[in-house]
Amino acid sequence: MSWEEIIKDYNPTIQRERRIWVNIPKDKVYDILQNLKNEGFEHLSSLSVTDWIDEGKFEITYHLWSYKFKVLLTVKTKIDREEAKIKSIYPIYDRSAWIHEREMHELFGIEFIGNPDLSPLFLEDWNEKPPFRKDFDWREYVRSKYYNKENEREKAYWEVWLK
Amino acid sequence: MKDKEIGFYELPFGPAHSGSGNFMVKLKVDGERVVEARADPGYLHRGFEKLMEYRTPLQNAVVADRVCILEPLSWDLVHAEAVDEIMGWDIPERAKYIRVILAEFTRIQSHLIWFSGGSMATGFQTGFMIGIGYRDYILEHIFEPVTGARVYPTGYIRPGGVRWDLPKDFDKKCYNVLKKIEKAVEDFDKLLFSNPVFKERTQGVGVLSKEDAIRLGATGPIIRASGIETDVRRDDPYEIYDELEFNIPVMDEGDAYSRFFIGRMEIVESMKIIRQAMERMPRGEYSLKVNPFMKMKKGESYARIEAARGEAAIYMVSTGDRKPYRVKIRGPSFLHLIPVLEFLLKDQQIADVPTIYWSMNTCPADMDR
Repeated sequence: MSWEEIIKDYNPTIQRERRIWVNIPKDKVYDILQNLKNEGFEHLSSLSVTDWIDEGKFEITYHLWSYKFKVLLTVKTKIDREEAKIKSIYPIYDRSAWIHEREMHELFGIEFIGNPDLSPLFLEDWNEKPPFRKDFDWREYVRSKYYNKENEREKAYWEVWLK
Repeated sequence: MKDKEIGFYELPFGPAHSGSGNFMVKLKVDGERVVEARADPGYLHRGFEKLMEYRTPLQNAVVADRVCILEPLSWDLVHAEAVDEIMGWDIPERAKYIRVILAEFTRIQSHLIWFSGGSMATGFQTGFMIGIGYRDYILEHIFEPVTGARVYPTGYIRPGGVRWDLPKDFDKKCYNVLKKIEKAVEDFDKLLFSNPVFKERTQGVGVLSKEDAIRLGATGPIIRASGIETDVRRDDPYEIYDELEFNIPVMDEGDAYSRFFIGRMEIVESMKIIRQAMERMPRGEYSLKVNPFMKMKKGESYARIEAARGEAAIYMVSTGDRKPYRVKIRGPSFLHLIPVLEFLLKDQQIADVPTIYWSMNTCPADMDR
């Protein structure tokens, strides 16, 4: 089965030459990525997460590049924000998937089931909400953590932010 | 095997080691041998992806070049391309040529720093001085007159084109600098690449096979040194690269020496590209008129370029607001410094750690973002 046939049923959109986007339901993603890898999409260019807070969903985006066909295929899938869990693609893309998933776990708090190591990467002693989620207010965080209300010289920052 | 009472010794390489940049690898060593390496990034994490959600594209152009200090114009370029694609802009022909010329100069100066680091890692201080010295010609005579600053161009390559036109005497300066770079390649050939000590220290060290390079997500010079002919400029052309003639250097050994040597050959190819672009550059507009308060179109884009270190990409989502909804930055060093480096350092000697580290063409800044 060629890669066009694998994604044919999911109405792929062709944005321009070498850019194809496709939405796939959550429970089918793993198998489809496995098939695409076998068909020649060997390079996981990037793995990203978008927080659609109004819809209550996380969108997970896999950007795959094929050295053979020279096509960038983006596979997107949506999962519930409340139950942010998805099967890890570590068995398919090995260490390159591991490191992307580890980063996304830290910044968005998504659980990748089957990933062997999701330990913290960039942040140190972080107990708050995952910082790249849309409902994490970094201004509020910085203000409460790093500014002193009684200090006259820091008043200017307060006044700007309270507007 | 070590007996249990003595155990292994943990040796932190970095984050203030002169050869590592702002990055640490924790090495578990048994005598002189590295048993396990574990990368510990985060010393330069500034959260650019989140910062960009709070700024308009023209403000982000300035933020984007901070992603990597060693090649700021490449990151300007990839950001500008991501926005151009969402907006559906076809930028003026002259702007494309200016972008390509600057991107190639950025590659050359970044590779010169790479050789400097590589020389330093093998205890060859003269090479360090030579690399930094020649790089300064580019900073002084190309970047400063064109962008206004030696290192950070403050968003010179911006969505819709470039910020202003090239200075009048750019031709002369450009050809003079290219002559100097030719001299630099000659010097590095004589002093570094045919140096028996350097060869001894790098040949056969840190060998990355073809399969491992794909599996671990290596790109750019690292994967080309392992025998895979791939280059974003050729495979996924952007700007005017499909009209230019250049070769893609490939080597099969996959060791540290071949990685450095790929860089040397890329400098020659970059000079070829700059010469062609200079000859063909048309006159005319250098930028579209961009309203700083414009609303972005709804949509998404994935822009990839070949930066000096490998594949640099930005995934941008816009909901039709003045600011992007989500920006994901894919840095090449993120893959090179964590999975690839951890894999290569295993079972190596401690003395080879800086050599392997520098052969990855590192930039901790674009790993942490």
